[in-house]
Amino acid sequence: MAASKSNALNWFLHRITGTFLIFMLITHFWVQHYDHQVASVTHEVVTEKGAMPDYPDAAKEGVKAKFGPDAEATPYQVVMQRLADPVYAVLWKGFNILFLIVALHHGFYGLNNVLTDYIRNPMGRLVARSLSWTVALGLFIIGLYSVITAGW
Amino acid sequence: MAVDTQDRPAATAAENESTATQDSRFQRYRVRTGMFAWLMHRLTGVGLVVYLVIHIWGLKSLSDPETFNALIAKYHSPLFKVGEFALLVAVAYHAMNGLRIVLIDFLGWSPKQKRLFVTLGAVTVLIILVGGWPSIYALGEWLFGPGTMPSLFL
Repeated sequence: MAASKSNALNWFLHRITGTFLIFMLITHFWVQHYDHQVASVTHEVVTEKGAMPDYPDAAKEGVKAKFGPDAEATPYQVVMQRLADPVYAVLWKGFNILFLIVALHHGFYGLNNVLTDYIRNPMGRLVARSLSWTVALGLFIIGLYSVITAGW
Repeated sequence: MAVDTQDRPAATAAENESTATQDSRFQRYRVRTGMFAWLMHRLTGVGLVVYLVIHIWGLKSLSDPETFNALIAKYHSPLFKVGEFALLVAVAYHAMNGLRIVLIDFLGWSPKQKRLFVTLGAVTVLIILVGGWPSIYALGEWLFGPGTMPSLFL
């Protein structure tokens, strides 16, 4: 079967995607958590219903500069700030699509390795493999849609 | 993973016998450092796939500002802040142990594996402490009141 013949390639790819993911995750974490202007997750606990996290001044000013003096720094607007510039929008969307593909391949190939270790029946393996890659494909389509349409 | 080295010789025949005769689906492994690292890699890996599924599914809400704001506000609740820290621990461990595997497989660093293990372990702890500080800080401010936590580099 073609799938079992290409296992060496997948084994190799798993290490390549893993190495790539380290660098992509550093970028992803930096943008989402540590950049004072564009991080949509702030270091604040919110317990009240309907309350929004408070953003740093850099984020508030950034949102006002892009969307006018009345614009509020809500999580959505903070993300939109990054996509407001067409050049950055294309860069971020490209980065996130690549990130999505690499993460899904790495995660679901790894999951299949685990499943193959515990499922011994060949039919069971085939079912598990088909199901998990179907889920991965579904997530790819959902993720791709979210990335492309974000900010429209 | 469980490589026999000079200071950790091969298991005795009696030990081998006990593992060879069992016929259950799950092997009864002799857990050593390398085996523990492998087991944790597997557990964090499965956990991260589950997280990936939830994460991609959740981002569908980007199509509606109200839903997205509500989702991000929820991600700032105490339980999610703890989960965020646990996620960082899992990611840091999985990434650094994965890097160890890549260095051993591709660059043939197995003779240096003890030093590699200790060095990457230290890097992992550093990543968890520095990277996790925003979550720890947020939880501390919430538990002990505003201004009680040192903001450090934040």
